[in-house]
Amino acid sequence: MVKYLRSLFRVPKSRRDFEKGMSEELRFHIEEYTEVLVRSGVPATEAARRARIEFGSVVSAEEDCREARGLHYFDEFRRQLSYAARLLRKTPAFTITALLTLAVCFGANLTIFAVIDSVLLRPLPFPEPGQLVTLFNTYPKAGVERDGSSLTNYYERRGQISAFTSLSIYSYGTEIIGEPGSTEREQTMRVSPDFFSTLELGPAMGRSFTEEETTSETDHVAILSDAFWRQRYKADPKVIGKQIRVNSVPRTVIGVLPANFRFLSSDAQLFLPLASRPEQRTSRDRHSGGNVIQMIARIKPGVTLAQAQSQIDAQNAALEVNDPQARMIADAGFRTLVVPLRGDHVAAIRPTLLLLQASAIALLLIGAVNLVNLLLVRASSRAKEIAVRQALGASRGYVVSEVVVETSLLTLIGGLLGLAVGAGGIHLLRVLGTDHLPLGSRIAFDARLALAALAAALVMGVVFAAPVAWFNLRRQLGNALQSESRSGTSGRATQFLRHGFIVSQIALAFMLLAGAGLLGLSLQRAMAISPGFQSDHILTGQILLPWATYPEPARLKFVESLTEKIGHVPGVLSAGVVTNVPFSGHSGKSAATVEGYTPRPGESARGHYSYGVGGDYFRAMGFSLRAGRFLTADDSRPPERVCVVDEDFARYYWPNASAVGQRLWNGSEGGKDSEAFTVVGVVGGVKQAGLTEDEAQGAIYYPYAFRIGDSFFVAVRTSFPPESLGLALQKVVRQIDPDVPVDNILSMETRIADSLVARRSPALLASLFSGIALLLTAIGTYGVLSYAVAQRRREIGVRMALGARPEDIRAQFLGLALRLLGAGVVLGVIGAWLTGQAMRTLLFQVPPFHLAIFAAAAGVLGMVSLGACLLPSRRAARISPVEALAGDS
Amino acid sequence: MGKNAELLPGTLDMLILKAVSLQPLHGYGVLERIRQISGDALDIPQGSLYPALYRLEHQELISAEWGVSDNNRRAKYYTLTAAGRRRLREETVGWNRLASAIAAALGTKPEGV
Repeated sequence: MVKYLRSLFRVPKSRRDFEKGMSEELRFHIEEYTEVLVRSGVPATEAARRARIEFGSVVSAEEDCREARGLHYFDEFRRQLSYAARLLRKTPAFTITALLTLAVCFGANLTIFAVIDSVLLRPLPFPEPGQLVTLFNTYPKAGVERDGSSLTNYYERRGQISAFTSLSIYSYGTEIIGEPGSTEREQTMRVSPDFFSTLELGPAMGRSFTEEETTSETDHVAILSDAFWRQRYKADPKVIGKQIRVNSVPRTVIGVLPANFRFLSSDAQLFLPLASRPEQRTSRDRHSGGNVIQMIARIKPGVTLAQAQSQIDAQNAALEVNDPQARMIADAGFRTLVVPLRGDHVAAIRPTLLLLQASAIALLLIGAVNLVNLLLVRASSRAKEIAVRQALGASRGYVVSEVVVETSLLTLIGGLLGLAVGAGGIHLLRVLGTDHLPLGSRIAFDARLALAALAAALVMGVVFAAPVAWFNLRRQLGNALQSESRSGTSGRATQFLRHGFIVSQIALAFMLLAGAGLLGLSLQRAMAISPGFQSDHILTGQILLPWATYPEPARLKFVESLTEKIGHVPGVLSAGVVTNVPFSGHSGKSAATVEGYTPRPGESARGHYSYGVGGDYFRAMGFSLRAGRFLTADDSRPPERVCVVDEDFARYYWPNASAVGQRLWNGSEGGKDSEAFTVVGVVGGVKQAGLTEDEAQGAIYYPYAFRIGDSFFVAVRTSFPPESLGLALQKVVRQIDPDVPVDNILSMETRIADSLVARRSPALLASLFSGIALLLTAIGTYGVLSYAVAQRRREIGVRMALGARPEDIRAQFLGLALRLLGAGVVLGVIGAWLTGQAMRTLLFQVPPFHLAIFAAAAGVLGMVSLGACLLPSRRAARISPVEALAGDS
Repeated sequence: MGKNAELLPGTLDMLILKAVSLQPLHGYGVLERIRQISGDALDIPQGSLYPALYRLEHQELISAEWGVSDNNRRAKYYTLTAAGRRRLREETVGWNRLASAIAAALGTKPEGV
């Protein structure tokens, strides 16, 4: 069999040689025979004639030889291909409709699948990526779903959990790189020494970090990414040992990573040791993760996730025995979860992607149904031709293969066009923000995907051929020859099939429309939510100060002079700084202890958003004041132990009393009297992480001096459009220190809009898909109705001759359309209800069964499909009985 | 051709294999050789020889190679492959068994029943 196939494939290549050899061989035979005859005394001309006659037909011998080698299949295939191409060229309207439908449907599927492939399917670029897991602490009852891991966790677990071959921690950051005067901010990662060995992918050049390099006195080393090495060092092979300035401190380059090293979605250019002091690794800090440090581990081969989880649980339980905070931590529902690294990374986006792929598949189904319907219509107009050819001896196999060749040609060309649409679609997705998706930057349109698409197109062609071939072979020859010429009715079965297709098409389009409606309404409801402050006319930017040149007092001075200088810029109304601005994607929660508050039994300490604010932050952001006063620049010089809380916080702890004048401590334990913060004001609640955030976790604002971090955000309220002040902001910062860049300069409104991208992009895509689905449904309905009218011309003519009025005829076809529409919508409602249930997690304040949306979808669909059948039914009503009965056009 | 025996279906392949097994032959040579070894009793219709040769070559029972004929012309020569030799042996055994069975059947006298 294999041999046979191989010789079949070898043939077309050497087809010309084969033909030449064959005629030469046959010619040789005849000439040889002629010579024999001549030698036996026959005259030369007579000998040649006799030789030719005795040999018989050279043409049929050649044909037999080709058949003996299986070559006739190729010849037949070529004939069928050119026949199919000719037929398609002859009906340009059909061909163009079909190709566009296929191109759009394939393109949409390809686009979404490219995303699914890179985000959900393709393995992470490390050896045995399935063994990689991530571990994080969760305190669900305290409102903290995810708190990363602490240094203590790392040092307690390392080498202690037998389920893991290796365990390490990392954190993301940004650092200022370069010499004074030419500094740049780069994405970085700080990692523990075993990070690369856990991933089993380490530096291509040089070495990884050692245990000795994990203290802040000895951590002056760095590993470069391949891209950074090529860009900054022009791929210098002797880069190891060179110095690089990171946050104004020189470090030694000790390694360069391989080109394919990419940790999840990180764009880190520089890797530094995750250094810490011994006192940060003690049991006191076990639960102070704060979602900064993350932990990954590699599971031993053969060990299950559940085994690893139970070992971690056992260790946690053993450690809690001696923990003074054990009670509180248990109340918070503390656990450490072990989950697959990749699955965890893409968990949030998974349902959206699956939903979009489902819509794309629905679109493909609609397009496919449309095409099959059009193909069936086409086949019935050619039924007579096919019947004649069968009567003349065309085999069933030949008729079938002819159909397969035609539909596959169609789907293959459609598939090729679909590749172009898909490439465009991936570009469109980039614009819609796939780069922000987890693993989104891996999205690429490669040869593998293109091949898969073309294979799918081919399969589709064969699938399309099945009903058409069935239609062609089903009818009895005699019937076919007669029915087309005399009565004008088509077979009941085919009519049922065509109508069934229209109904399913309408149902699918309804589901898409309803789904898009639900997503759109969710988006609208999310957008209608107030962020809690006046978000217009605010410009924000992030500033990172290196600790080496900016120890604590210098930082405070920098902030002070910054807010003061910005205040003098024309167009600036007020300016302030904050550790994290809302909607910036960085929001950490931490615990606070309120004086005089005794937790109810089982109630755990709550995590609150905690900020340090400086300058005139509240006025700059347009917060509303509920009681007391705002914090101002004066509270930071000298730092007063005061704070402002939001109304959610105040309502939770002092439901019946004024919050102003109450006292609280930063952290989960009360402290000395002198460390207490006095509440001086209550501000309105503000959405911190996103507009759809529904848990009012409460927030505390301390003077900036008490919550100094690596970086801070500056917020400026302007009287001009905020973007226009971006340059002025950078200039002010450069005046203070030319080495400090401002990053992430965005207006607050842009930040809010960006935070909705995960809702907006799917809603946009779903509307796009349902728009195409509507168009396809219109085309399908129009095609089938026009065909029904054309086919029943004669019947209509008879009825009109017998006195039927044009309105009756029109009503008959509109009635048919309405019945199909009704059936489709009923099925669609059931389908939409089911999909609504499935996409529940993606909806926001919209029930999966939303009557108004369903009614609107039915209305739009009804208008479109009735509009599509208006033209054919008008044509039916205008049929002249005389013409219809006279001509057999 | 009246005096020649009709070729039974399926026997042409066997004869070609036999002819080629004696020495490499071109197409016309195969024809001649069959005529010769059958004592001029079997005459192959010339047009049907080549499809049979192509089929056997495709089944890899014989292999073909371009060579030079006695009168110095380019000609395609066929030789038996190992698989062809095996096939010829099987077919010969099968044919002999069939022929003797039929001969025995046809030779039966009424009293022998």
